Amino acid sequence: MDEKIEKSLSRMKEEIAQFEPILAVLKAEPGEMGHLQSFPLEDLIGNHKRIIECVEQGKTFLASQYTNPVEILTAMDVPWYFTVQQQFSAGGTGGSPHTMEDLEEMDRLGIPSDCCTLLRLLLYYQVAGLLPIPTAYLALTEPCDGVTGLHAAFMNHPDWRDVPVFVPDPPYHDDVRAFDYYASELKGMVDFITKYTGKTMNMRRLKKVVEETNKGYALWLEYSDLRRAAPAPHSYAMPMSCFYILNTAGAGEPEVTQWYRDMVANAEMRIRENRPEVPNQKVRLLWYDIQPTYFSELVPWLEQEWGAVIAMDMVSYCPYELIDTSTEDTLFRGLAKRALLHGPMIHQAHGVVDNVIHDITRIVRDYKIDCVILPGHMGHKDMAASASIVRETCRDLGVPYLYIGLDVCDKRYTTLDQMKNKIAQFFTAMGLG
Amino acid sequence: METKIKSKAFKQFSEATKTLLNPVLQNWKDQGGKIVGYFCSTVPEELITAAGLIPLRMRATGSTSTERSDAFFSSINCSFARHCFNLALTGDFKFLDGVVCINSCDHVRRIYDNWIRFVPDTPFVEVMSLPRKTEPAQVAWYRDEINLLKGKLEKHFGVKISNKTLWKAIKLHNETRRLQKKLYELRKQERPPITGAETLAVMVAGTAMPKEQYNNMLRELLDELKGAKGPGGHRARLMIVGGILDDPEYVKVIEDQGGLVVTDSLCFGTRIMWVEVDESLSDPAEALAKYYVADRPSCPRFYGEHDNRAKYIVDMCREFKCDGVIGERLMFCDPWAVEHYMLGQDLKAAGIPMLKLDREYITGGIGQLRTRVQAFLETMGR
Amino acid sequence: MLVGGCDVGSATGKAVIMRNVEIISYEIIPSTTKPEVTARTVMDMALKKAGLSSISDLNYIVGTGYGRLKVPFANENISEITCHARGAQWLLPTVRTVVDIGGQDCKVMSLGDKGKVLEFVMNDRCAAGTGRFFEAMARVLDCGLQGLSELALQGKNPATISSQCSVFAESEVVTLVNEGKELSDIVAGLHASIASRLNSMVRKVGLVEDVVLTGGCAKNDGLAKALEEKLGMSVKKLPIDPQIVGAIGAALIAAERVSKQTMKSPV
Repeated sequence: MDEKIEKSLSRMKEEIAQFEPILAVLKAEPGEMGHLQSFPLEDLIGNHKRIIECVEQGKTFLASQYTNPVEILTAMDVPWYFTVQQQFSAGGTGGSPHTMEDLEEMDRLGIPSDCCTLLRLLLYYQVAGLLPIPTAYLALTEPCDGVTGLHAAFMNHPDWRDVPVFVPDPPYHDDVRAFDYYASELKGMVDFITKYTGKTMNMRRLKKVVEETNKGYALWLEYSDLRRAAPAPHSYAMPMSCFYILNTAGAGEPEVTQWYRDMVANAEMRIRENRPEVPNQKVRLLWYDIQPTYFSELVPWLEQEWGAVIAMDMVSYCPYELIDTSTEDTLFRGLAKRALLHGPMIHQAHGVVDNVIHDITRIVRDYKIDCVILPGHMGHKDMAASASIVRETCRDLGVPYLYIGLDVCDKRYTTLDQMKNKIAQFFTAMGLG
Repeated sequence: METKIKSKAFKQFSEATKTLLNPVLQNWKDQGGKIVGYFCSTVPEELITAAGLIPLRMRATGSTSTERSDAFFSSINCSFARHCFNLALTGDFKFLDGVVCINSCDHVRRIYDNWIRFVPDTPFVEVMSLPRKTEPAQVAWYRDEINLLKGKLEKHFGVKISNKTLWKAIKLHNETRRLQKKLYELRKQERPPITGAETLAVMVAGTAMPKEQYNNMLRELLDELKGAKGPGGHRARLMIVGGILDDPEYVKVIEDQGGLVVTDSLCFGTRIMWVEVDESLSDPAEALAKYYVADRPSCPRFYGEHDNRAKYIVDMCREFKCDGVIGERLMFCDPWAVEHYMLGQDLKAAGIPMLKLDREYITGGIGQLRTRVQAFLETMGR
Repeated sequence: MLVGGCDVGSATGKAVIMRNVEIISYEIIPSTTKPEVTARTVMDMALKKAGLSSISDLNYIVGTGYGRLKVPFANENISEITCHARGAQWLLPTVRTVVDIGGQDCKVMSLGDKGKVLEFVMNDRCAAGTGRFFEAMARVLDCGLQGLSELALQGKNPATISSQCSVFAESEVVTLVNEGKELSDIVAGLHASIASRLNSMVRKVGLVEDVVLTGGCAKNDGLAKALEEKLGMSVKKLPIDPQIVGAIGAALIAAERVSKQTMKSPV
């Protein structure tokens, strides 16, 4: 096969090779959480295989980012992959084997190191030819400058220059006028997809898909509610998978909904039987940022050393609303609102800072949080500019607040030792754990 | 700044770059006039003028520290945002009768959130929603935003902004643009009568004065410079590309190395005046929206326009016979970081040397700046 | 024809005197707080070594380095980037990538065929990878700069130093020492980390053979070896003290000014 094409599929193939043995073990000895843990892996492997097949057989497929409504893609039956998936999976699986070399190569691109590493890494993957070149792609300019810049650079790459791209334009406000505007942008997106894939939108199918994801979101919200219990039912990996599954390929399929049902069931059982995944819980944390790619080197330490669990996190606390599927208009407006306001990171970064204040206030109260951690990923400039607002909110709530300042992809920026020291000193000073 | 230019107007322009509340503005206030500050050159100044107010592009000139604002922002936030907000906290912006914020970038948009909470005595603080794309749907959206702001200005300041008054303001601002462009045309020649640093002073002053007065002063300056020739023998003719650069001293350090800045793509430069608002439309709000979103040379805040921007820069270089481009950006600015990354590749393909510089809002590190610029000129073989 | 090049750095001052494009003397001294004093002192010493009585014996002098604007007797000043490139290329005409590690900054230059600088990248904002950093480490480990280099070469399992900042790296080193790690491994790890950073800078301008190290830290064989490993190619040694390359370049440019022609390499 063409060398370039081979290279563009290499990471997906590697991940398949990496995850298939794990999947086999989980299937052979599922234990209590077996099905829950194997489903995301199966989903990922399945999608990778689908994309590989598209590339090898010259079929159309798209690339997209997670806030572009996945329901539309499922309803139009378009194979697609999530461009930032590599880094997100790394967070759950303990980091990709290529992280260090990828970071070093990324440094050589010459983009200033004060730009978000997540995005620079993604640009590196593109420049290095590690991303399959799609028929067309859906870009994003929300919620931050970094992602806009990244997509601008994406368009500029010689191999991607002629790949059609569409991006819905995000309004800054959060009112009906804004939702309607975005809804019309999303309709433009549908037209774009039809133009370049030949697939059309069937409103009945969209309705069905959205009804299904509605169920998924309702269950996810239910699951999040269960995390209020003390002790918290699960460790960090499963709760954080919740975001991933509803936002990737297959969203709107009944199997996905079933997974959430199983998550809820397991959580309920653990609470009923007082059998949390993490024993000896002493401190309930709010981790207010996305999960770093090296999270598996930090959280077990928190859990074992300090009995600190992540009772709630930014990615999981999203006020999803169920979409009214009665008409085309309500469907698109609902999807627009969801895309502008509800998705993780978008919800927190889009528009004014009120969402953040409101959320932290609710979470601290409802989840009986003992300590708010603002990891302060270096790419989140707007969040960094909200540091004082968050501090004041926490002071008003009477809850300890720790700002770390790290890079979710690059542990050279703030090392794990530095993070642990900071946390340890803070916990000690606050009499936690 | 030492200069050979004699006109009194230039002296006043220069003065305006060194202070926030320059004598002309102070005079305006003393006579009961009102001033509304705005962040980002995409806020339609014309609307503020039409309301009978003076639009003032927000700067943090004279700020010496970010002690107060650091508590609200963090060390990974842009120094421009931090310095501006620091001045807000120390009361240096008390003279403002209002501020219009906008989601121009992640750092500046949070100035709005912090301002409404922690600088409560500013009477009128609003935020606009600027689109990212530049297509007709976005022009329509911004037209609506402009009309919404118009309503708010009318209500708060007790004025009526008719289409007629708005057109009048547009014509006035277009005249400013025309005059400023004339100034730049003088720099196309081999021995421009005005330096880059001096030009920046003129452009910055244009955002800090009532436009009628400014236009008259600028005409006076143009009169003096007509037919004049500056010193020749520069090592290189340069173009500066970047975002918010409002300090002529920075350009002076660059020019002290022997190069001459003859043109630019800057917020206080050609981007705000190279193109005019289309006066042939019937709806002035529509005309403004079209200008700010679609017609004017864009900055990397806008998506999908990189090719146009690159062409604009290359064409400008050819028109002004530039030997090289200096791309500057404030630290922590993502849009310009990526833009310069791409520009570096485009300019290389066009055979135009480029130097990328990072800076802080308040000019410092002059030794380092000198070394880089000097080395750049030397590598161009000049 | 007698010319001089004077490189006034933050840590050291260097002077080179050339007669008819041959080096007849050079001197390196620690910098004083006043660049003009450093310049005068080092130049006087070089003149004395060359058997010359006064600075007016020289036809032309070029100043360079961080203090180049304060060299009172210089006819002209040129950036250290151009000077290092020129000096390196004269000493080794096949050089295409120059990595200069000075007292307070480090830079990488990419050269064209005729020694022209095509691109350069500088780190003058932090001490990591500069002379200051190595001095600090030598102090912490109480082994002197030569000792540091020797230890680096002995390290068999270089420790991982993850801090990007030299101040934090120092803490990391102290921690590792307390944990009982082999000193040679720690030092090797430090060098690997600096080499990594330099590698990153090199890649930004593009790695083209031959590569040379200039500046005071180029005398650190441990660093040269670590850099070779990262670059995947050998770093060529220059036939003279690498610390004076900038001053050589300055003297060469001085000679060119006098004779109005490009100076050929002695090789």
